[in-house]
Amino acid sequence: MRSELVIRARRLPWGAYALGAIVIAYLLWSLAPVAIAFLFSFNRGFSRSVWQGFSLQWWTGPNSVFHDSMYYDAIKHSFLLAAFAVIITVPLGVSLSVFLSRWRGRTSRPASLLATLPLVVPELVLSLAMFFLVTKLLHFISLGTPAQVLGQVTFILPLVIVITRGRLASIPIGFEEAAMDLGASPLAAFRLVLVPLLAPAILASAIVAFAVSIDDFVITQYMASTASTTSVPMLIYNATRGSATPALNATAIVMAMTTIVVTGTGYLLYRALSRREQITAVAGDQFPTVPALGEGVR
Amino acid sequence: MAGGQIDIEHLTKTFDDVLAVDDISLEMTSGEFFSMLGPSGCGKTTTLRMIAGFERPSSGRIALDGVDMQHTPPHKRQVNTVFQSYMIFPHLNVYENIAFGLRRQRCSKEETRRRVNETLELVQLGKLAARKPSQLSGGQQQRVALARALVLSPAVLLLDEPLGALDAKLRRQLQIELKTLQQTVGITFVYVTHDQEEALTMSDRIAVMNNGRVEQVATPREVYEEPATEFVADFMGVSNLIDAEAEAKDGDGCRLRVGDFTLRAHGGDCEARGPVKCLVRPERVRLEAYDAAGENRLPGMVERLVYLGSAIQVILRLATGDKLQALAQNDGGTLEYTQGTAVQAYLPPDALRVLRSAGAATTQEQPELTRPATDEASGRINLQPLVSETATDGAANDRP
Repeated sequence: MRSELVIRARRLPWGAYALGAIVIAYLLWSLAPVAIAFLFSFNRGFSRSVWQGFSLQWWTGPNSVFHDSMYYDAIKHSFLLAAFAVIITVPLGVSLSVFLSRWRGRTSRPASLLATLPLVVPELVLSLAMFFLVTKLLHFISLGTPAQVLGQVTFILPLVIVITRGRLASIPIGFEEAAMDLGASPLAAFRLVLVPLLAPAILASAIVAFAVSIDDFVITQYMASTASTTSVPMLIYNATRGSATPALNATAIVMAMTTIVVTGTGYLLYRALSRREQITAVAGDQFPTVPALGEGVR
Repeated sequence: MAGGQIDIEHLTKTFDDVLAVDDISLEMTSGEFFSMLGPSGCGKTTTLRMIAGFERPSSGRIALDGVDMQHTPPHKRQVNTVFQSYMIFPHLNVYENIAFGLRRQRCSKEETRRRVNETLELVQLGKLAARKPSQLSGGQQQRVALARALVLSPAVLLLDEPLGALDAKLRRQLQIELKTLQQTVGITFVYVTHDQEEALTMSDRIAVMNNGRVEQVATPREVYEEPATEFVADFMGVSNLIDAEAEAKDGDGCRLRVGDFTLRAHGGDCEARGPVKCLVRPERVRLEAYDAAGENRLPGMVERLVYLGSAIQVILRLATGDKLQALAQNDGGTLEYTQGTAVQAYLPPDALRVLRSAGAATTQEQPELTRPATDEASGRINLQPLVSETATDGAANDRP
């Protein structure tokens, strides 16, 4: 305790202050645009660059984010795509990674390499290839929501696999063996032991899948069909070239806030899940050895 | 509850090109405490995992109560395992861990509760049912692992070095408890360990294994006092193994030539002739004054003394050049020998065992023969064997 205090009180070298200054400058630099965008969503006029006084019209008025269907539908569509991405990639990715790391077959190595390949292929290349595939070969998949979901799943899945496999590597196979030893079928061992132990990774995967899907532009744009399949990033990209109103700023802020709330909640949950393990691991040493069996017998 | 007979016939297991288990045949009878003892890599754990069903034998057969287990997956075998690192499910509390197996068997709620509570009492964890595994000490976790397996009333309980992670004191205590428990529940225990003391104190029979083979299967007393091979003799604790030449029959035993000296030996393979190993336990070596006369005495000089607590280890350099360990009980008096004292080592004929020197000196090179440091605290005689004396003994001993 004491030594810790002494270390903390020790004067830091000037380099540490410089580093701290750089960090703060970076934070301000990266947050300033968000703050400005937020501010201009309350502009009285139509301008997104000239301040004309305070108003709530872009939040509550007839042309506001919640009343103009252009903005409203884009938000809905973005969340629809994100929901699909999470619901499909997480179970699929978790099952695949369990299969890849617990199955020691001859082809397991090449298979795991293939599974992570979309991670390194540039998204634009993947998008072009998928556009070609969907329009020329796989006619049963129509452009629009189905193709957008397919595209997002394709490149989010490797992320889920990477996250889950990292966690899997730290779970000894002995837990599954113990479950089977106690009479659980391989499937029951997976469901009752492995899935609970993987919970933090599953949650982290869901957060990442959600955030990446919401943020995605390239593949979503390529796979889109009509205006009804416009996501928020697409809307923002297209609108900035035309005459956008501060309602666009409000839309962006709504997206940012929702994403922050969702991922933040997820992160807190993740912390709670993994904290529980940490605390208990430490507590294990704190508990004194119990009176042994023999003593009770006497 | 009756049953629990395991028959292993010509069991072999290879991993890629490595031969882990080499054609072993064993029989574990119902209600027996059977230990598989050997250094790491000797195939004992692999054999256990094959009985549990986690490894598939390359060839050979394992039968439980006469039924071949080849096509029975682990979750359908009437055996349960206590794992080396316990593998208690961290997301379930003590009660749920123990109830896990019963729930898989679709036991009724009342019966599950009754049996879990009974087992909790049996291993004396009654008050800790609601605890999470991470809130338990090592010894408590070990009991949960034991309870989780025992609650299912298996025909056979497999234990893979269950005390390996515990400190020496707790381990000794749990050895006695485990043995008592086994006698109480009356099921077959198959116990894997590398600790000869554990095997000796608990087992009905011990299979000493080395390099995937079984060297000897016998009762603890036989394994310790009548080791069949040089390896067993060495592994069962510190022994003196002296190179000798078996010359001729001599009454019940035979005559051995060691350097310029002749010894009479009554134990072991007295029919052997030619180069043999002569085994004598340190506690059977008697130190006498240098002018003592009579047969079976070898002159030598005290090279060092090691204080062990309950005994004093005396390392002699014999006139033949061999090293010999003797053990003098610490009875409170002072030892009249110091470093450099010339003595006679009396080796009683019935303490000398003749072993055919089969695999030459390979067994002596096994690094696993060095006992874990925790054993030293026990004051028992499992120090390092002669061949692996380290600089640390020297330092302890060189004090004036």
